[in-house]
Amino acid sequence: MDSVLCSIGTRGRYDTTLPLALAAIVNQTKIPDKLIIFDDNDEPRDVREELIYKNLFQMMELKNIEWEWVFAHKKGTHWNHQTANIMGYKWVWRMDDDCIPEPHVLRTLLSYAIRKNAGAVGGSILTPPLPKPFKATGKIEKINEEPNIQWGLITKEQQVEHLHCSFVYRAGEYDYNTGLSRVAHREETLFSYGLHQRGFKLYVVPDAITWHLKNPDGGIRSETDESLYIHDEQIFANFMQYRDHTIVVLNCGLGDHIVFSKILPEIKKPLIFSCYPDIVPGHAIAHAERGFGNLDQWNIYLKMSQWEWKGSLENAFRKLYL
Amino acid sequence: MIIISPYSKALRNGKENPKNYPYWEEVLKGIKEPVVQIGIPGEKQLCEDFRVNLSFDELRALLKECRTWIGCDSFFQHMAWREGKKGIVLFSRSDPLIFGHPENVNLLKSRDCLTKFQFIIWEEQEYVPDVYVDPNEVIKALELF
Repeated sequence: MDSVLCSIGTRGRYDTTLPLALAAIVNQTKIPDKLIIFDDNDEPRDVREELIYKNLFQMMELKNIEWEWVFAHKKGTHWNHQTANIMGYKWVWRMDDDCIPEPHVLRTLLSYAIRKNAGAVGGSILTPPLPKPFKATGKIEKINEEPNIQWGLITKEQQVEHLHCSFVYRAGEYDYNTGLSRVAHREETLFSYGLHQRGFKLYVVPDAITWHLKNPDGGIRSETDESLYIHDEQIFANFMQYRDHTIVVLNCGLGDHIVFSKILPEIKKPLIFSCYPDIVPGHAIAHAERGFGNLDQWNIYLKMSQWEWKGSLENAFRKLYL
Repeated sequence: MIIISPYSKALRNGKENPKNYPYWEEVLKGIKEPVVQIGIPGEKQLCEDFRVNLSFDELRALLKECRTWIGCDSFFQHMAWREGKKGIVLFSRSDPLIFGHPENVNLLKSRDCLTKFQFIIWEEQEYVPDVYVDPNEVIKALELF
């Protein structure tokens, strides 16, 4: 069976919903291989020896679920999810600290993901009381017009272009945008839509309900600075504006540009940012940073290192852009 | 005419770039035809005809003119590859299977000489003296062209 990591970030919810979320994960009918908890609290507290948590972690040990508590860097949930994304597991089940999955959620999502060879699969994320039934396409072009499809009761499998909140995804195929602010507004939309753009299919499926215990206190995105949301929304808007393009960022050496130039004719509608416009014409790299946030997802050397690459530089560019 | 491109980009910390081949003078003694060295000001001049700061167009024109070329692992090997001109690349610590092109003759003393860290910046790599091919091998390879 493919390896599965469950990743959960937490902030301000030690004594409210976090233990409920952990209990729900422990009681899944298909358990993850490992649970990693990213503690993003402003004033972290070591709860591992506190009664409830100690019992929960002992239950995990009895069930052979490896667990790890990470005192995170307080840079936002996207940084935590990116850490989980590249930990070497085949699948990651991303969870929130105020979400209570029903016991068969991971089994359902994972079986769909494997059977469909999907990039990501999500279920309903229901906040009591339930909303009136609605129809949603799950298409990115409708994101500002329709409610997220996962907010309603999903009764049949449907292919979508982006997912929300909690879902299972194929790890290491696309990066979270760590250029977003600490609130990481739109982070899961950018991430899941990125998987879609890389050619992976995304689905929402029935019989995989996660209950969202809406809690105004705490939360991984708990910030009052509106400018952070504006910053992130601008990055999101830029990605949307150029979503039918292939964004190419050549933040690398002269020789690398020359090698890249070989595959350029094969790239569909490239929007290029280049250090050597004499070799590969394009906009300045600084514009890419301002427009699209962190550039790591286009750093060919970082990618080759993450992939433990043994092939040619030319083929590494192919993997990144084609 | 043979082009030589002896040096890789200068490192920001002022140390010797581990990709730089140390036995150019011995190689040049074995070449019995005109040699043009290309590079930038400040690099050590190895032969009489040393041309600095050539534009890409001038480099392309020079490549058309030459019989072949010899270089270390630098941008020039990639440029010559794109221009379809085969040459000799003197590898040392970087991996020719990643950074080389099979169309060229990629000389490597041994795969044991390769750094384990192919993708970190070269400022963080030490210059190791004993990882370069013998100059006689370079001359022998030149006979293939």
